Amino acid sequence: MTKLLSNPCCHPSSSTTFSCFHNESLCSSKKMAALPISGHFSKWPPKSFTRIQLRRSDFELRSSNGYPLNAVSLQDEGSVVNPLAEEPNFSDSAEGDSTLSITVVGASGDLAKKKIFPALFALYYEDWLPENFVIFGYSRTKMNDEELRNMISRTLTCRIDQRENCDDKMTQFLKRCFYHSGQYNSEEHFSELDCKLKEKEGGRLSNRLFYLSIPPNIFVDVARCASTRASSTTGWTRVIVEKPFGRDSESSSELTKCLKQFLNEDQIFRIDHYLGKELVENLSVIRFSNLVFEPLWSRNYIRNVQFIFSEDFGTEGRGGYFDNYGIIRDIMQNHLLQILALFAMETPVSLDAEDIRNEKVKVLRSMKQLLLENVVVGQYKGHSKGGKTYLGYTDDPTVPNNSVTPTFAAAALFINNARWDGVPFLMKAGKALHTRRAEIRVQFRHVPGNLYKHTFGTDLDLATNELVLRVQPDEAIYLKINNKVPGLEMRLDRSDLNLLYKARYTREIPDAYERLLLDAIAGERRLFIRSDELDAAWALFTPLLKELEDRKIAPELYPYGSRGPVGAHYLAAKHNVRWGDLTGED
Amino acid sequence: MTALPSPNHCCSSSSSAYSVNSSIGFHQIQRNIPFSLIPQKKFGSKNVSFRSKCSPSLPDVVLMQDAPSPKELKEGLLTVEDRNTVVSDGKGDDSTVSITIVGASGDLAKKKIFPALFALYYEDCLPEHFTIFGYARSKMTDAELRDMVSRTLTCRIDKRENCGEKMEQFLKRCFYHSGNYDSEENFTELDGKLKEHEAGRVSNRLFYLSIPPNIFVDAVKCASRSASSANGWTRVIVEKPFGRDSESSAALTRSLKQYLEEEQIFRIDHYLGKELVENLSVLRFSNLIFEPLWSRKYIRNVQLIFSEDFGTEGRGGYFDHYGIIRDIMQNHLLQILALFAMETPVSLDAEDIRNEKVKVLRSMRPIRVDDVVVGQYKSHTRGGLSYPGYTDDKTVPKDSLTPTFAAAALFIDNARWDGVPFLMKAGKALHDRRAEIRVQFRHVPGNLYNRNVGTDTDRATNELVIRVQPDEAIYLKINNKVPGLGMRLDRSNLNLLYKARYTKEIPDAYERLVLDAIEGERRLFIRSDELDAAWSLFTPVLKEIEEKKVIPEYYPYGSRGPVGAHYLAARHNVKWGDVGVDE
Repeated sequence: MTKLLSNPCCHPSSSTTFSCFHNESLCSSKKMAALPISGHFSKWPPKSFTRIQLRRSDFELRSSNGYPLNAVSLQDEGSVVNPLAEEPNFSDSAEGDSTLSITVVGASGDLAKKKIFPALFALYYEDWLPENFVIFGYSRTKMNDEELRNMISRTLTCRIDQRENCDDKMTQFLKRCFYHSGQYNSEEHFSELDCKLKEKEGGRLSNRLFYLSIPPNIFVDVARCASTRASSTTGWTRVIVEKPFGRDSESSSELTKCLKQFLNEDQIFRIDHYLGKELVENLSVIRFSNLVFEPLWSRNYIRNVQFIFSEDFGTEGRGGYFDNYGIIRDIMQNHLLQILALFAMETPVSLDAEDIRNEKVKVLRSMKQLLLENVVVGQYKGHSKGGKTYLGYTDDPTVPNNSVTPTFAAAALFINNARWDGVPFLMKAGKALHTRRAEIRVQFRHVPGNLYKHTFGTDLDLATNELVLRVQPDEAIYLKINNKVPGLEMRLDRSDLNLLYKARYTREIPDAYERLLLDAIAGERRLFIRSDELDAAWALFTPLLKELEDRKIAPELYPYGSRGPVGAHYLAAKHNVRWGDLTGED
Repeated sequence: MTALPSPNHCCSSSSSAYSVNSSIGFHQIQRNIPFSLIPQKKFGSKNVSFRSKCSPSLPDVVLMQDAPSPKELKEGLLTVEDRNTVVSDGKGDDSTVSITIVGASGDLAKKKIFPALFALYYEDCLPEHFTIFGYARSKMTDAELRDMVSRTLTCRIDKRENCGEKMEQFLKRCFYHSGNYDSEENFTELDGKLKEHEAGRVSNRLFYLSIPPNIFVDAVKCASRSASSANGWTRVIVEKPFGRDSESSAALTRSLKQYLEEEQIFRIDHYLGKELVENLSVLRFSNLIFEPLWSRKYIRNVQLIFSEDFGTEGRGGYFDHYGIIRDIMQNHLLQILALFAMETPVSLDAEDIRNEKVKVLRSMRPIRVDDVVVGQYKSHTRGGLSYPGYTDDKTVPKDSLTPTFAAAALFIDNARWDGVPFLMKAGKALHDRRAEIRVQFRHVPGNLYNRNVGTDTDRATNELVIRVQPDEAIYLKINNKVPGLGMRLDRSNLNLLYKARYTKEIPDAYERLVLDAIEGERRLFIRSDELDAAWSLFTPVLKEIEEKKVIPEYYPYGSRGPVGAHYLAARHNVKWGDVGVDE
């Protein structure tokens, strides 16, 4: 407590003697320790707690599609082995008397409306949520429960593949949604929330999840108030935090320090929704459950790796936030770097969150310092096409006219370890480009001593194998191979060994937020960013960002809707790489 | 010539960038080489073949959409073309090819050889001057032959234009000569007719022996003595069977060699002309990602599977004398195995490839009779329809023990493949028709996802399938996460279905092989020492089976074959990939 009071991040609230109308003693501030009650969440979860086990222990396993969660389905087998059957089922007793309260802080915001409530509904619809749960919206707006429900219901949709009883389910779901209006820095208001939560929990073991969908400058206030006033006394309390996690190493570690005044490491769930994408999840499966890829996964066979993110729209009048961060902070330092770490990490000891995150940190810490000469920045300018005019970035009224904030960036990164020494990892991210996509491209080396050399022309590197994992849109995996064109002559051609998700899997792929929320509820931390990971990620980008900003490097301007600045090609060429997405093949 | 893209002429393709219409100059090189020379490296590398006119686009450039367009490249190569055109000029116009089909009235000739020749003509792959002669004992006029031939000609699906016209032109080039297979006199008459058509040009002659094996040697003797070309090459295509065992095969080879040099003999194995068998080497050697996996370190077993969904259907006379092991395994499947398992050849030249194939065959462990399962189909009634058993065939002896099904486990005792079972399975009257190569990979060592895979880690391994027929395809089975919130793994395929990717009809194996023979490309034909090695592998086990009169395991017509095949596989820790539900 003394530590808490002496902390500069803390804005001590005056209300220390707050009382609640129906149970004074429980709500007294003395019991609401700033630090969570020991025994419930002060320890790391034991290693053996995988996502699946946790989910099983938290509530009865209900896989929505009728398959056991844990078995590979082998269609050439008559029956499916179900390893679940032999394991003790310890969820029964917990199920009945534990509750889950999810509080969406910033409930009236855009993210909450578009992503969080729909994801929660989808989880409910698919029976992933525990039996006893309530959802609270919290924000400053005055609203009653009914108004919140009204607002939410407008954005809820049912999964395409199972529309049955959708209205029914929606009504039931909305009945579990409540609203509490309050200030983000008012401990008093959070105490009121606590009382409401208690009421709903009805004396059961209470687990509480706070989703902070608010601007970064009030993160700490909310964390403080929630932690000191609305923590669970009997179960766990977890807080999901959205980016940005600072602007650089210093501000990020400051934020972490402040959050840690009120929360333990294992209570903080830093969300990076790219890690919840289906194909990013599948990346580890591809690598580690197939024999055919891992032998190729090194500098011996891989020539370069490309991480590509592009959006086909600009800031469109909402550039205020973006201008303060820029594309490097907004996309590269988090989303792309996280995927890179997953891609490049060594085989972890197990699939446990700590083991995986340990390996990711190792990759990040092995990375060579990012040099300015290995970065290209760009900014989109106005463009007229087909009679339509697209505004440039600085035409956005929320963006300063002289802004040099990059809306596009390309970078070459290197990992100085035994596996990846010398292999360029290229990243590219941009707004207002010609297409919307996110993908990982792995270009393999040329065949040494290729017998078919003369069929390839002079540049052997042009005809190499390439593995593409398309994260969005139209999830797909394909492997480009050289193949003989059928016919009497010997002509080679690149063909794809293809797996298009749409064609193979009929079920709709869940939104990343569903997966991440479910993981947070289950206490599975694999897809959340640990503090040391965040530090390492910032350590990599901060010097570069500082240099870019100190020197006010002017971005290369590119027309709205174009393929981005040509500088990106020169950067790639310097490292002997050709961007895989701009070949006209895809 | 140094400016040619490649000195090591790639496979059957042309080695040079000829333009589409450089139709001139077949075999100016072969012409100068006397047949007494064994074509070693020199032959292979000098031998320029002229496939380019068959390919409408540039033959030797991989199509890469991110590279300069073929058109641009072509323009860049114009100087090379010009030079080549000059080189071949002057020789092109005065050479001819005469193709004589010995046994022209037979089934193979009607169903495969004439249609293949027509397809080649239709696709402009035949040289300008060519004639086709049918030769058989039946009395027939040219017109009657043309009539017979025309009934089986079909046009390629993808270009039906002018088909009628082309057919007429083609038939005008077809002639018939009736004669006995052992009459030098009759062959001398043929020679006279050929000379007439060749009209003094350099004459190249190809004889396709589509006749029973007992008259091979007679026909070869007559053709060679009385109808060889005096100034060009003379080649003879021989169809299987090439003997019944090591001794008879060696005897046949010896006899043939009395009249022909090694490089005149083209032993055809039409499986080697299948598109996906051709592609096997391309897959292995032009992709980085397969070769590192191509060894005992990663491959658990390889399966070569051939099945037909019909029996002998009243034509078992020939088959009964040979059996499925000689008919399919010792040649087709073993050839594919050799291509699959060979080391990287020095070049794609025929001799280099065949040298590597022979090495594989000679490294193979003798087949033990324990490692072979034989079966024979019996009659079966299904859905009111009755299917006759093998011995119900009138042309088959009632007490025949000839296997119509066989499965075998083979091993290659070399550094790359030691201990990896190569399983073969071939059968008639099974539930489906297919030919495929399946490569099952080992399980992932220390698999992090073991708990998702169940107890038998071998069940969820990667598998590469090359489906030769029907519906040509390549697919790689991988483990993948089933999309959704759980962590379920599932096998999905990385898929390449030819039908979906390539709209052109895939040429028949015979087209490729006849064309290769015309061009002197021997890569897909079986050399004498290859044949010897293949026989020495199978002869002991065949002898043992026949001497011990091993009773075949009976299986119902239309079934999946004898269960013994499963026990054989199980003994070598293999599970047949083709009988899974997911196929």
